[in-house]
Amino acid sequence: MMAPDDNPPFRKVLIANRGEIACRVIRTLREMGIASVAIHHPVEARARHAREADQAIEISGETPVAAHLDIAQIVDAARAVGADAIHPGYGFLSENARFASAVAEAGLTFIGPDADTIALMGDKISARQFAADHGVPVAPSVMPTQDLAEFTRQATEIGFPLLIKAAAGGGGKGMSIVRSAEELEGAARHAASEAQRYFGDGRVYAELFVEQPRHIEVQVFGDGKGGAIHLFERECSVQRRFQKIIEEAPAANLPAGLRDEICASAVRLAAAAHYRNAGTVEYILGADGRFFFLEMNTRLQVEHPVTEMITGLDLVRLQIEIAAGHDLSFAQDQVTASGHAIECRICAEDPERDFLPETGTILHLDAPQAAYLRFENALDRGQRVTADFDPMLAKLVAHGPDRASATRRSIAALHDLALLGVKTNIDYLARVLGHPAFAAGELHTGFVTQHRAVLAAAEPDDATRDRVLIAAALGLRDFRDLILGVPEPHASIGRWRN
Amino acid sequence: MSRLQSSINTASADFRRNEAHNRRLVAEFKAKQEAARHSRPQRDLDRLARQQKMPQRKRIEMLLDPGTPFLELSSLAANMAYGGESPSASSIVGIGMVSGREVMIRADDPTVKGGAWYPLTVKKIVRALDIAMENRLPVVHLCDSAGGFLQLQSELFPDRYMGGRIFRNQSLLSKMGVKQLALVFGHCTAGGAYIPGLSDYSVIVRGTGAVFLGGPPLVKAATGEDVTVEELGGAEMHTSVSGTCDYPADSEEHAIEIGRDIVAQWDRLPRWEAQREAPEEPFYDPAEIYGIVPDDIKKAFDMREIIARIVDGSRFHEYKPNYGTTLVCGFANIWGFKVGILANNGVLFNDSSIKGAHFIELCNQNSTPLVFLQNITGYMVGREYERRGITKDGAKMIMAQSCSRVPKFTVMCNGSFGAGNYGMCGRAFDGRFLFSWPNHQIGVMGGDQAANTLAEVKANQMKRNGGAVDQSEIDRLWEETRRAYQEQLSAYHSTSELWDDGIIDPLDTRNALGVAISASLNAPLGPPGYGVFRF
Amino acid sequence: MVLKLDLAGSVHHVTILARRPHLVLSIDGRRHVVERLDEAGDGSRQLTIDGEPIAFVRAGSADGVIVRLDGRSFALRRLDAAAEASAAGGGANVVRAPMPGTVIVIHKRVGDHVQRGETIVTIESMKLQMKLDAPRDGEIAEIAAREGEGFDKDAVLARLAAPAEG
Repeated sequence: MMAPDDNPPFRKVLIANRGEIACRVIRTLREMGIASVAIHHPVEARARHAREADQAIEISGETPVAAHLDIAQIVDAARAVGADAIHPGYGFLSENARFASAVAEAGLTFIGPDADTIALMGDKISARQFAADHGVPVAPSVMPTQDLAEFTRQATEIGFPLLIKAAAGGGGKGMSIVRSAEELEGAARHAASEAQRYFGDGRVYAELFVEQPRHIEVQVFGDGKGGAIHLFERECSVQRRFQKIIEEAPAANLPAGLRDEICASAVRLAAAAHYRNAGTVEYILGADGRFFFLEMNTRLQVEHPVTEMITGLDLVRLQIEIAAGHDLSFAQDQVTASGHAIECRICAEDPERDFLPETGTILHLDAPQAAYLRFENALDRGQRVTADFDPMLAKLVAHGPDRASATRRSIAALHDLALLGVKTNIDYLARVLGHPAFAAGELHTGFVTQHRAVLAAAEPDDATRDRVLIAAALGLRDFRDLILGVPEPHASIGRWRN
Repeated sequence: MSRLQSSINTASADFRRNEAHNRRLVAEFKAKQEAARHSRPQRDLDRLARQQKMPQRKRIEMLLDPGTPFLELSSLAANMAYGGESPSASSIVGIGMVSGREVMIRADDPTVKGGAWYPLTVKKIVRALDIAMENRLPVVHLCDSAGGFLQLQSELFPDRYMGGRIFRNQSLLSKMGVKQLALVFGHCTAGGAYIPGLSDYSVIVRGTGAVFLGGPPLVKAATGEDVTVEELGGAEMHTSVSGTCDYPADSEEHAIEIGRDIVAQWDRLPRWEAQREAPEEPFYDPAEIYGIVPDDIKKAFDMREIIARIVDGSRFHEYKPNYGTTLVCGFANIWGFKVGILANNGVLFNDSSIKGAHFIELCNQNSTPLVFLQNITGYMVGREYERRGITKDGAKMIMAQSCSRVPKFTVMCNGSFGAGNYGMCGRAFDGRFLFSWPNHQIGVMGGDQAANTLAEVKANQMKRNGGAVDQSEIDRLWEETRRAYQEQLSAYHSTSELWDDGIIDPLDTRNALGVAISASLNAPLGPPGYGVFRF
Repeated sequence: MVLKLDLAGSVHHVTILARRPHLVLSIDGRRHVVERLDEAGDGSRQLTIDGEPIAFVRAGSADGVIVRLDGRSFALRRLDAAAEASAAGGGANVVRAPMPGTVIVIHKRVGDHVQRGETIVTIESMKLQMKLDAPRDGEIAEIAAREGEGFDKDAVLARLAAPAEG
């Protein structure tokens, strides 16, 4: 471990989060010589983040999640313990503009963007408009209208395929994909009537539908004064239930020119927004090389370690330094990437049952260790995995000189990762990484669905099944007693009937 | 200990003839055993299936620890009684391992007259409980019996060793601290109700198990009360109201699982530390026993050849090998246990009797269990031997043997005639276990001798009456006497009457003794001591 | 005595055939020689099965054992006779939670007679409401949940009375 910094920018930082990200922030705070404060609901009083922090404060709430979303309580706690800054991690209040304001109003530093930036990017329409205004490509769309003739005219101009949906609604009502001009009018009429029926608002909306899109995102840092840099892209195309499960940096098979173009547009957006601190600009990328702005996440991402592993930078440290008012300590051309990193999200879920969350108790945890591996977690043996929090249990991040070796190392690490007591997607992730399409970098957000059949767990062969049964039987105390507890000469005589 | 040198020629005509003969006998025995175990009227099997009951043997297999021996006792009890309608005397008795503990298992047989007890059933149960008491073996009762077979009540109810003895033994076992568990699978009616009643633990299966002194018909006749089996003595009532049973089970398998769990709670009583070594298979093939035991009971054979095929490594330390040679005495190990063996190689003379008595005393001093391998035609008779005191020398052997403190085991290998049976620990001498080979015969004298004796008496009678000796009449008498005698001499008759603990295949002798010796170690040894030896 | 283990919905029978000179186990009738029994309990363990060294990780769970072997985890549930017996009454006697969640509505009371397919409880899990129905005709013997209460996957929410003895 590094010696703590001589002049840390803060004395004490409260982490408004829990789990692996809280532990990860504590680690950097400790390296920087900054005292850490954890918050915890009574149900997680013995959780790792609460134990590892220098100080732990109990917060209350009807549910643990409610407690972690209680702005006033958390700000009060930060003041009460004398913290001078708050790190929000990801999730919970990390993208809540009111929280950022409340922290600032309390005279504390919010380690993240300014509240108005959060608000700007938090609203899909305004974020999209802002991006479009600053030359960041957005998917061509027809703005909400009730005029079907006008709608059809504009839509035809965009081209096909098109995604049509009710402007007011969600949940797929009236949503359809239109692949030709002939289908357009009927689909639009249907969408409008559905929209009227379900939402009392007959306006319809359409945008270009990107088939088999890849999810590419760019890590940016802004100094809040119009200066911004990027730390390269990440690819997060492997998703299930619209959530990422495998992320990597850099993106696979991305032409250098296109990469530069995407990264430059992200920096342009951050600079235009006078973005302060860490942020991520997300894009969808079509097979034709066209990319469109999706949204900007105004916080540290779950998958930030892959960027850290290829750049050698500590993103949390950068966040803290910028929050303390420092300038970016390096220029864009000083940022270099080496090798390839892959992150696997270990979730308590059943891949065989549509990734539904699982609960249980961590009975055994044994993670492989290597210089090229990070196992980000806050797990304890005996810990209950409940439906109270997100099903993500840990992240396994592996670095390698190239994508193939990072993949191999990830598969090996998943193989050796023993996390028993709750059903997880560990073995599933290994199958994804081992799939030829993954190796070929043929990724898109429908990857998991497309390869569903191949990715399903195969029945174990007879030899494996018998070995498992033997290993299990010998783990049952009374069965073991049955083997070892039979006295002589009966044990030697064995089964005999006269 | 050196290895016995076998002088058997397995290629000889004698060997092959003997082998064929004995294999036929064993096949006959196994066929009878198979029939006693499994041959039942279809309607009884159907009823069992309808009640969703498992056959008792399946229950026993489920109860036993897997991969362990089960020594079944008296599998052909009652095979020559009641016209064969009570196979195995309607009960299964044996010693096996349950949850790592040696236990006596005793099970009713619901496929025979609803599990009703015949007189020999009672005798078999009493014997099982005697074994439990002598060896301090916990007992697991698998109850499924309608009660006493009323037509024969006078033969199973009133006397000292009849029905009541079962419950007396159960009570004393409990007093001795020897545990009993009753698994109630079916009805336990009348006396049978006391089996769970007197057990330390009892489990009863919902729906099929019931315990009552009088069943619904008897209650109706006695008091006019209409009551169902469930209300009168079902699992729910007995485990929640009367407390007669302790654990309700949802199925037979569940009852067995609970039973195994209960046994697992029992303390392991300290075993007497017998001298023991790592076991070793016999050097000589035990299957050769078939070729050694002659096809004619009158032919002699060397019992050392049998010993060589039963004991560990065929090793034998023979005591006084040159003295009293008709009784082979010596030390060996069986499944590792040190034993003293006495085996007959002919009629007992004065010297062999005295040697036997002496050897028995040595074993008692040395805490070495005794194994008697009987093939005895008796003590030598005649003027010279009486003058030498054959009776008092035989008495010495009987005295030493009777008063032994070490456990005794007897195997009836071929013949047991006359007082030799006494000296060699016959049934009356409370050996812990007594097994017979299928070829074995037992009686005061052999069939030929008995026929000869009776023919001699008849001829003398004819002569005294002044008539001529009618040889055809004598021959007829001889043949008749011999046949009747022969039937009573047979091992099947002995075992039917429970004069032994079962016929065994000679090849099973080693395992049977291994389990039996192991069981005997549960009871502590008494102090050595004898009566007055006549010198 | 036979050990019954449920692996992914199929039941396997494990028993001991011999202890000397080697342990021989039977798995559904297939013989396997087991040597070098590592210590009991949880953690990384080794065994030799049919002459081949096997490394695995094992942890005892509430109702069985979890084994990780060759990069795959297997959860094994031990079947005891009581559970089997209660399931024997023409299928399941119990209504189990298919996933963790919360009880929203209890439709039946103890003693009610239900027909197969009738809803006994409604649960919510992952913002999804789900009706749990009677697995067979019978009488409700137990409702093991209260409205508003949470539960884990496989929790028994209701139980039917055993069928009457015929």
